[in-house]
Amino acid sequence: MSEPLRNLSDLDRVIHEPARLLLVALLSSVESADFLFLLKESGLTKGNLSVHLSRLEEAGYLRVEKTFRGKIPHTEFRLTPKGRSAFDQYRKDIGSIVNPKKARG
Amino acid sequence: MDSRIESVMKRGRGYWFVDGFTEILAGILFILLGGITLLSGIVPPSSFLSQFISLAESAAIVKFLGLILAVLGLWWLKDRFTYPRTGFVREKGVPRSQLLVFLRNAVLIAILPVLGLIIPLFFIPAVRGAIFSMPIWFPPVLGIFWGALCILLGEWTALRRFRLLGVVILLAGISVGAWQLSLGMPNVPAGALRANILSPLPDVLWAPVEESLNRALAGVGLLTLLSGIAFAVSGLATFLRYRKENPVPYREEL
Repeated sequence: MSEPLRNLSDLDRVIHEPARLLLVALLSSVESADFLFLLKESGLTKGNLSVHLSRLEEAGYLRVEKTFRGKIPHTEFRLTPKGRSAFDQYRKDIGSIVNPKKARG
Repeated sequence: MDSRIESVMKRGRGYWFVDGFTEILAGILFILLGGITLLSGIVPPSSFLSQFISLAESAAIVKFLGLILAVLGLWWLKDRFTYPRTGFVREKGVPRSQLLVFLRNAVLIAILPVLGLIIPLFFIPAVRGAIFSMPIWFPPVLGIFWGALCILLGEWTALRRFRLLGVVILLAGISVGAWQLSLGMPNVPAGALRANILSPLPDVLWAPVEESLNRALAGVGLLTLLSGIAFAVSGLATFLRYRKENPVPYREEL
């Protein structure tokens, strides 16, 4: 198997799925966000978004925090350190596939 | 691929500015600061308004409290208006190490040019000439600095309007400099260039120094006012678009 193909098969499947990649990319740039923000920005349906968030949580990439904003219950989602490093690694991996010369240089 | 990921990440970074409130408030603060600075040079010194302006100029606590109130007001507005419509985002905190580096650089950026002007003042008479021409070069330099900050913010958040604002502020700075140039260079008496810098200047030499400082201050005031108007207009347009796209708070569909 050639190196780029091997790299392709090594990609993190949890993050590689487009909807989850979008969610992880959004969460990587902030401390945390609520369901409504992720819903509006991703354009996913509520059911779909819940499924993808659960998948990320199962993988240990996401932490769900139930807090209060004033008196209103509030659920926030944040990437765990494991999730952040998995996302950084994914970006390196995808970079080495798309642009192998640059990745080696 | 990575650039598309980067553009999604920038959407998260730019969310703070999605509703235009920050620009509107920054614009109002700039308009007030610029307006007070400009008016202080125009209004006759003995009038009631001048007393009010000098109070507003000197009372740093009022500016500080105004800033705190503006920030609290911004949070309140976002809590009531933005978060129920498009969701809540907790911005990434800056790590202490990065904050210290940022503060060190900010202090250096603020202090070095001042030291670079003050120290040569003692030794090189020509530098005093540069001080006299401050009304012409200072507003463009400030405009370039503020404009560059706006353009960098636009790059960081992928918000095109900040790049545009940066260009507008930069052009405003250059225009203010050109306006001051059209008024003519301030007189630089040879005596002022040669005088001992630590001894008080005689009135006849002090007048052109004062004129130069007042003109520079007026230029900075005008630039601040123009930048404030640009911020406020941009913020208002952003707010109207946001309200049109999100007229009511989000509700669960039954």
